[in-house]
Amino acid sequence: MLGHDSVGDEDLLLGILRADEGMAAEALSSMGVTLEGAREESEEMLSDALSSIGISLEEVRREAGDAFEMRIPEGRRLPFSPLAKKVLVEARKEMRRLGDDHLGTEHVLLGILHIEDGTAVRMLAGMGVSPETLEDQLFELRGREAG
Amino acid sequence: MNENARTQIGGPRDPREGLEAVVALRRMLEALEAAQVENAYVAGWSWAQIAEVLGVSKQAVHKKHAKRIRDRFPGEPPRRKGKGT
Repeated sequence: MLGHDSVGDEDLLLGILRADEGMAAEALSSMGVTLEGAREESEEMLSDALSSIGISLEEVRREAGDAFEMRIPEGRRLPFSPLAKKVLVEARKEMRRLGDDHLGTEHVLLGILHIEDGTAVRMLAGMGVSPETLEDQLFELRGREAG
Repeated sequence: MNENARTQIGGPRDPREGLEAVVALRRMLEALEAAQVENAYVAGWSWAQIAEVLGVSKQAVHKKHAKRIRDRFPGEPPRRKGKGT
């Protein structure tokens, strides 16, 4: 929706970390990606984008006080961005391709990694994690669990 | 900003950067609205007063913010005060 905030592909990644369950969270944490670290990275990217148009996120935060939080508030319903939708479509494809009968966080993570120029992938890159390595790690965990 | 980093008509050289600033600004706007509505509520403003200044309906403000803020501040709302004092 033009002019409105939405849930982006990076928010799906934060969601996986926040739920902290399943293979995806395990793969991420084994690569040193934590919820706290990802939130910081996400905020740094937003802060950089804002400073490119002359807005200091720090100053806004100082003015607005402790109630100011850049994350999507609890219980707030937002539409998915087109990239977030694409992630979920990719996730379903992965689920079918792998012959799984439920959609898990690992499929969503694979979907996220398929959006190569997405915000989530750039966020991971900022934390020193490449999509290829993470995908390998994920399949290794899968293999271990199946074996 | 560095002159080289801009196009001739003055926008950023990389359109992606310009567009992403808009996305970040939306997120910041939502965060700022949530914070300032909460600040006003804590200061004792009614939903009607908050809505009037934001230029939207009381129902819209209530629907978007009431649950979150009441979860954070259970119990009686703060004592009502006159606004703009």
